[in-house]
Amino acid sequence: MFKSGFGFGCLSVFLIGLVGNALAAPETFNTAFPVAKGDFVFREQFLYKRASGDPSSADRELEVLGGISVLGYGVTADLAVFGVLPYLNKNLEVTTTGGQRVTRNTSGIGDARLFGKYTIFKNNFPGGSFRIAPFAGLELPTGDNGDSDSLGALPATLQLGSGSWDPFAGVVATYQTLDYQLDAQAGYQVNTEADNFEFGDEVRFDASLQYRLWPRELTGGVPGFLYGVLESNLIYRGKNQIGGIDDANSGGTTLFIAPGLQYVTKRWILEAIVQLPAVQDLGGTALEDDYTVRAGFRFNF
Amino acid sequence: MTRILRTAVFALALLLPATAFAAQTQYQLQVDGLACPFCAYGIEKELTRTEGLESIDIDINAGTILVTMADGATMSEAQADRIVKDAGFTLRAFTELPAQN
Repeated sequence: MFKSGFGFGCLSVFLIGLVGNALAAPETFNTAFPVAKGDFVFREQFLYKRASGDPSSADRELEVLGGISVLGYGVTADLAVFGVLPYLNKNLEVTTTGGQRVTRNTSGIGDARLFGKYTIFKNNFPGGSFRIAPFAGLELPTGDNGDSDSLGALPATLQLGSGSWDPFAGVVATYQTLDYQLDAQAGYQVNTEADNFEFGDEVRFDASLQYRLWPRELTGGVPGFLYGVLESNLIYRGKNQIGGIDDANSGGTTLFIAPGLQYVTKRWILEAIVQLPAVQDLGGTALEDDYTVRAGFRFNF
Repeated sequence: MTRILRTAVFALALLLPATAFAAQTQYQLQVDGLACPFCAYGIEKELTRTEGLESIDIDINAGTILVTMADGATMSEAQADRIVKDAGFTLRAFTELPAQN
């Protein structure tokens, strides 16, 4: 009755790059910059995602509204650890094979993530820095993956959690000057099986440019910086497996282009960005994204 | 009349703040890697924990931090180096500035 492939895979799509950062940083993924030793960074990002590009006759419309909380701690100047906890509300409207329009909904805590990031290369120079930092962690099955409604169990892709323990790793490089910052990241997540369902593994490549729009000239002190942000996320997901068999209506490649703004002060950052799908080459009738809006703040303490 | 004048001068001298005769020590830290406002906080926070610190003035464009210590307090280069390193940056130069009266 319901298609199992919604095109957005598991929660990692929302979370894989979303971490606390000590500095101005990309909005949809990581940065190589550290959290100062003994310092904490808290980040809250609110998101609204809409996906309604349905190649099937089910005319699916998916909306996800959520808040993602991140706490980072600087263990040393080079090693930082992070915890990520999402709260999500997912709403799916779909037309059944009988022609009836139904709504399925779930909300609650999603899968948490714990990971560490270590700076292996650092070149600080006057007014800038270049760094490379690998990261690795684990997505924990803290979200409910057994939710159901009056129509029965929700599809695995609509559940809040995957039910599985999923390791991930990657590397991020950052080049920053007073005028602009460049970040690039490569990441891989191995999704494991739980309750006879396994999300496809995920590979992603991200890039970000942050350019200082204001103040145009720096005259002294520590003024707030307004950055114009342009990011891209190339994400490939393998096919989901149900009972060990590939789901043809899942997986594929998506390229997002994301313009945004970021206002950075010494203690806090305000930011907003819109992810727009430029390319979507998805499996079968997997649901295509319309857009995702992310907005939030970070606080240094 | 002379006695009154002497007494007045003595009283005025007593009222002058003792700090007017004391010296504050200032240091200029040249820091590499300092390139955005959020970076500055890690160093600033650690510096504020330093005993005897009077004030901090960061110039992000110049990559400098002017540290003013209270009367009699000092900061060593090793101390400054540790603070900057812990925040993830590099201390390029440490200069003690002429005393401010």
